[in-house]
Amino acid sequence: MAPLVKVEGLTKSFGDNQILHGIDLEVAAGEVVSIIGPSGSGKTTILRCLNLLERPDGGRIEIDGQMLCEDGANGRIKFAGKSEIRKVREEVGMVFQRFNLFPHMTALENVIEAPMAVKGADKAVAKSRALELLDSVGLSHRADHYPLQMSGGQQQRVAIARALAMDPAVMLFDEVTSAVDPELAGEILLVMKQLAEQGMTMIVVTHEMGFAADVSDRVLFIDHGLVVEEGKASQVLGAPQHDRTKAFLKAVLERAPMAAEGEPIDESTTSWEAEKTVSDDAAHIAELESEVARLRHELSVKEPTDTPTAGDL
Amino acid sequence: MDVGFIIDIIPEILDGFSTTVKLFLWAMLFSTPLGLVLALMRMSPIGPFRWVAGFYSWLVRGIPLILIMFYVFFALPEFGKSFLLSPFWSAVAALSVWTASYQAEAIRSGILAVDPGQFEASEALGMTKFHYMRRIVLPQSVRIIVPPFTGNAINTLKQTSLATVITVPEMSLLTTRIISREFNALEPLLALAIIYLALTTVLVFAQQGLERSFRLKV
Repeated sequence: MAPLVKVEGLTKSFGDNQILHGIDLEVAAGEVVSIIGPSGSGKTTILRCLNLLERPDGGRIEIDGQMLCEDGANGRIKFAGKSEIRKVREEVGMVFQRFNLFPHMTALENVIEAPMAVKGADKAVAKSRALELLDSVGLSHRADHYPLQMSGGQQQRVAIARALAMDPAVMLFDEVTSAVDPELAGEILLVMKQLAEQGMTMIVVTHEMGFAADVSDRVLFIDHGLVVEEGKASQVLGAPQHDRTKAFLKAVLERAPMAAEGEPIDESTTSWEAEKTVSDDAAHIAELESEVARLRHELSVKEPTDTPTAGDL
Repeated sequence: MDVGFIIDIIPEILDGFSTTVKLFLWAMLFSTPLGLVLALMRMSPIGPFRWVAGFYSWLVRGIPLILIMFYVFFALPEFGKSFLLSPFWSAVAALSVWTASYQAEAIRSGILAVDPGQFEASEALGMTKFHYMRRIVLPQSVRIIVPPFTGNAINTLKQTSLATVITVPEMSLLTTRIISREFNALEPLLALAIIYLALTTVLVFAQQGLERSFRLKV
């Protein structure tokens, strides 16, 4: 089967600063791919090129059979027409680091706006679908709230519902937990995990190593605009081959006890209604610490382990 | 100062009140959409639109309003009979052209102040530019536009007094008539100032009301 997302030789510069040096990426339908890498490595730029929020300088992007851009005969990149680009954007849901909810609209209005405007959905139909989606992210009781009346975690879950309302074929997540308090990241990750389990195709730029290990089928480690290492989550995270990958993972995991990074998603500790602070939970902290110790141990073991890291996270 | 005299002449000045208010309202009615169009042209990806709007702003903001009034009333009819406007409509046209150049800047600054993430989220959802400008961007920029917009409106209200020079019988013209008839400037000018202050105060309250109604729900 043809891949849903196909990227070849993607390059992008901002001024003299080349961010992407030829990225290749294929994502099959139903696959969950995590993109990890140091700050400034270009991982967010890759994501933003996939719906042409950023226009690449070279390379080819094809989504669900529709070409978005490709290198022309004269050596200059050619883009699809405006309406083709919009069609592809309907297929590609995106969730942003800073939520970008429409602040003058309620959660429900945020979710129904695009289906009504872009797909011409009937208001009543769009509303009932939106309420379903808000319910699936645990926020049906917040439907009439405005974004600024909600926590960061809640806003981000509304943003996920808003993207899902377009029935996208693939979802892009751009560091979606980076702008929320660490204790609220879990509720977002849980929604994403459920989405992955339902078979959604997802490309996830993240610093959440626990999530990458737990949920993704494949992990790409990007550095300086190149794919340095790519493979199963258990391989890349558990037994990285490249020195840069090892150094990166070591740095991230050493920070983990303080910043709660690599926090495992435990559904029992994430309750929507209670919204209690995970950090108060002593058992959870102990669990986190043992988790970090185990990942560290796995990092120090050079050869690939038989037991995938994802299994028991 | 004779308070009784002030009270006597206020009704006479108020004969021009409705003319002043009409000049103001017509000028706002025309200048607001024109200002919006100019603001959007200024930010258009299409070069000629940007140039035309930039030229307009440079030209109109660079010359005195009184010159525009004279031009519309005296010079424009030389291009043909159809450009011959009554004093009132000449003043409305001049005030509209002049106000629009300032409103364009107010509106543009409001649009520029909207978080770029709002544009990105709209585009990522596949919305057309027309749709998200109307539904997402402009409603958010209104909140930011209100203070400079009402500031410009207050200026326009005061500048309706310039219509005097092309013989529009608004409050200022009537006041100058009283002055020359009575050989007394103090009380008529004071009375006129009070009426203008009352009008601008209404606009200040309108601004506060608008700001309240566009405040984001927190």
